[in-house]
Amino acid sequence: MVTSREQQARLWIKLQVAWARLHQHAPNAAAALPFVPLVLAWWLTAMLEVFPRAFFPGPGEVILSLKSLIYKGILPEYLFDSMMRLMVGASAGAAIAVPLGVLIGMNRHANSALWPPLLFFQAVGDIAWLPILLVWFGFGLTTMTFVIVYTVLFPVVLNTVLGIRSINPDLLRAAHSLGASRARIIWEVVLPGALPNIMTGLRNGLGYGWRALIAAEIIVGTSGIGFLMFDARRAGSVVEIMLGMIVLGLLWYVVDAWILAPIERATGERWGMVTR
Amino acid sequence: MKSLTLNHLSKTYFDPYKGTQVTALEDISLSIAPGEFVSVVGPSGCGKTTLLNVIAGFLPETSGSIRVDGKPISGPGPDRGVVFQSFALFPWKTVLDNVGFGPKMRGVGRDDRDAIAMEYLQLAGLAYAADRYPAELSGGMQQRVGVVRALANEPDVLLMDEPFASVDAQTRLTLQEELIRIWLDRRTTVLFITHDVPEAVFLANRVVILSKGRVMNEITIDLPHPRKWDELVENDNFKSLSARVLQSVRAA
Amino acid sequence: MGSPGSYRVSSARSLEVFLARVRSTVLFLIPLSLLVVIWSLVVNVFEVNPRIFPSVASVWQAGVDSLVDGTLVRHIGASLWRIAVGTTIGLAIGIPLGIAMGVIPAIASFFRPLVRFFSVLAGIAWIPIATLWFGYGFGAITFVIFNAVFFVVVYNALLGVSSIPMQVRDAAASLGAGRLAMIFEVLLPGALPNIVTGIRTGMGFAWRGLIAAEMIATDQGLGYMLFTARDFYKTEVIVLGMVVIGLIWLVLDRLLLAPLERVTTERWGMVRS
Repeated sequence: MVTSREQQARLWIKLQVAWARLHQHAPNAAAALPFVPLVLAWWLTAMLEVFPRAFFPGPGEVILSLKSLIYKGILPEYLFDSMMRLMVGASAGAAIAVPLGVLIGMNRHANSALWPPLLFFQAVGDIAWLPILLVWFGFGLTTMTFVIVYTVLFPVVLNTVLGIRSINPDLLRAAHSLGASRARIIWEVVLPGALPNIMTGLRNGLGYGWRALIAAEIIVGTSGIGFLMFDARRAGSVVEIMLGMIVLGLLWYVVDAWILAPIERATGERWGMVTR
Repeated sequence: MKSLTLNHLSKTYFDPYKGTQVTALEDISLSIAPGEFVSVVGPSGCGKTTLLNVIAGFLPETSGSIRVDGKPISGPGPDRGVVFQSFALFPWKTVLDNVGFGPKMRGVGRDDRDAIAMEYLQLAGLAYAADRYPAELSGGMQQRVGVVRALANEPDVLLMDEPFASVDAQTRLTLQEELIRIWLDRRTTVLFITHDVPEAVFLANRVVILSKGRVMNEITIDLPHPRKWDELVENDNFKSLSARVLQSVRAA
Repeated sequence: MGSPGSYRVSSARSLEVFLARVRSTVLFLIPLSLLVVIWSLVVNVFEVNPRIFPSVASVWQAGVDSLVDGTLVRHIGASLWRIAVGTTIGLAIGIPLGIAMGVIPAIASFFRPLVRFFSVLAGIAWIPIATLWFGYGFGAITFVIFNAVFFVVVYNALLGVSSIPMQVRDAAASLGAGRLAMIFEVLLPGALPNIVTGIRTGMGFAWRGLIAAEMIATDQGLGYMLFTARDFYKTEVIVLGMVVIGLIWLVLDRLLLAPLERVTTERWGMVRS
């Protein structure tokens, strides 16, 4: 293909403009667009049998499996179970993590006292708790909730602390000088100021809480999407594993794109705190 | 408006990078009468920002006293309003809510504090921007909001830390004239830190020259009010006063 | 900052710095030591059943035993090797990719949905399919680790680059920065707080992913040691495993990641310390 550099540059600019316009007028279409080449590549790879069919099924087979599982009622039930566990765990985790993060970010003594145990227990990790949790609570909701709360905690705390430390100190001084008490400074300045980072932390935390849930379901589960995938692995059925992974991804995608991202956008960008 | 008195004020701190004690302020004594406008100038590193931070209560003094209306200060507070070089407006609050912040902290109800905020915004000529967010305003507008935000709290003393340094030169002249207009209206006691000599002379009753943490010189400015740049630029008295201050700063 | 000729740090200064480090390490260990004390007190006072929670002494004993017969070293070695390989690959690809994606807004917004989609799948969700493709053992586990690090780091690098004020980038451009200079002098340092947070978070989750994978997909490693102890109610081995896991990560974090964060971001005044 012989095109002059100028033609290439012009084409590139036209592409960017078209993309920006699409992004502006139809953001959902724009979000779905990158997946089209991905699915095409997948379909092609499967059809050409680059890998053996048993190891790498194509989109068609996955869709068939989807229909079958919905029909049998398994998928909706597992989905509901997984979601419930995540909701409960994540809410509890965030409710603990944000105040903890504020405390650590604002108070030197709390920082010295709590940071080491925080790092240690983050290091131990939620999964390492599974054996002893099984000894204490057996298989069940308590074990899984603990794991999720535990996982969500750390990214939220870390990002909250980062957010607090990134606040322009003049803002804190201004509030102090305008007569705000410590409590009011936290509510009026610290929390809004750290909010973009807290949102990032929540987004990360939810993402990993979701993954920890799947891990717990794989190792310990009796229902849920994670269990679906592990059961399929035992039966050697790649199709259902892939289906499970796609469902996971899509579900998260929807929550993230339609709930979390708009919130993040409404705060950070409106206040001019993050360049886009 | 109240008086501001500094008595043998000193400030030293430990610099971790140099590994030694640094004396930022040394034995500063200054009396500012109620309603007086005092500018503080000096070469970079002379301690003028530290001076403001200590008076504002953001830094503790090492020795000596700071009194407002004869009473010693403790920490930051609404009695000493501060205007920052970086504007320091709350990006997540509207202009109206920013100005109303001080009254809100004092427990004033929403309707009352909105009224107070509007009154001050009108004073600054920014009533039309009340519902905008700081990110939507120009630098000059943001700083005007910064000034009236501090004023809306009716402070005894107004401390201004190189407030116009981040603003373009022409807007700076306009803001200076506006500041005088507001000051003539409210007659707040003002301490104005700057490195810009003509600005210091233009605004103040008295200019204090600081060097290496000490007061080097004080020059009274006896120009009449109201002051306008168009007139003063040609004024011989203004020119000679500016020259004297500049000489003093450069000799420091 | 500092006089031009003073590059050699005086010996008095370096002693000061060393003492400061020792001091901060001690301060770090105090809250943890307190926890151990509380642990032994609680177990003794409440006469806790060793099948529920072990005493400090039994854990210590288990540690000594497994060190002596070499099993602990073997497990630790296996886990560390897997982490090292997976993380290195993940960072080597992830950081440049994240930065590259963050630079041109159009590209960033094109790929962001894809990254988001895969970032939730990252790590453990791939265990079933990874074991099918690579079989049990090193390949599958390392893949899971790589996965876990890669997507967090890409996302954080992307976020970090897009948080750099346009003015700073414009200033660099007007000062004559070419593409390479822009990357190493502006984008990388500017995105560094976020990248380091990303590395810290990513590695934390990679470590966790490792343990999970080792529980079900292999026959050696710390996760394996932990999980099999459960079958015999050997809580002292379980707690030993948890402590070892925590300690290894702590060392990694304090000696590698925290100094990195300190040297870069706090010194540059980008994050208030």
